[in-house]
Amino acid sequence: MPNDALRDSLAEKKWLTALAKGDPNALGGIYEMYGERIFRYTYRMLGNRSDAEDATAETFLRVLRRSAELRADGAFRTWLFRIARNLCIDKMRQHKLMELPADAQYSGGEEKATLRITVQQALSDLPTEYREPLVLCDLEDMAAREAAEVLKISVPALKSRLYRGRRALRDKLGGALERMS
Amino acid sequence: MNSDFYQKLVDLYAGRELPAELEDQMELAAFNDQSLAHDMSTLRKTVDLVHEDPGPEFTEESYQRILMKLYARGVDIQTNAPEPTHLQYQLPIQG
Repeated sequence: MPNDALRDSLAEKKWLTALAKGDPNALGGIYEMYGERIFRYTYRMLGNRSDAEDATAETFLRVLRRSAELRADGAFRTWLFRIARNLCIDKMRQHKLMELPADAQYSGGEEKATLRITVQQALSDLPTEYREPLVLCDLEDMAAREAAEVLKISVPALKSRLYRGRRALRDKLGGALERMS
Repeated sequence: MNSDFYQKLVDLYAGRELPAELEDQMELAAFNDQSLAHDMSTLRKTVDLVHEDPGPEFTEESYQRILMKLYARGVDIQTNAPEPTHLQYQLPIQG
């Protein structure tokens, strides 16, 4: 196991054990470990900052509520993403948030920022079943097995959706890809 | 080779999942097949583009707003991050 992964795994175990004992620092430690990733994931799923902040806060609230049942056995991160995903799906159902994020803001040069917005728009336009594997595997760099567990599908099904999603995204990007050449 | 098989190989090529030897063979095959070359290059560019996307910025404001939402729900959460200056108590100006 690489050093970073081992360190994260040990820290996760420490915080989950502390959380089960009611240590008030524990949730803060878990939030510092995973807050940014969960926020980025929910933002990409929901398309706007405000809803992503709500979903992230609710995810960590659920961590606290389920603290007695959580085990530091390596499945915690998968569980965390699954909770975040379920919250995103609920929000999408409530608000039908499938359009381009109104507040998409990216730093960097104008050309790069335009390209990123184009990618974000193309991603948002994809059906959820294609977008989810792309967000988890290509944007969050999650391994196929773990992403399949988050989505509750088999690894071959995940790969099939991922490959189709990439092709669908390429078709949507069309001209932007040509201009990159 | 049938097109479904090629398509699967291109999918693996785009995600850099092929062993180096097979990748070389794919690139060699693409020399003589323009449509295969286009499929391979555009799909790989798409994957690279997505991988390079830094994503939305997790700003200090978002970090603090999420904490505030948790406090508002009665959660006792403590972090090691320093309190932002705009939330610190300001001393009255002497004068």
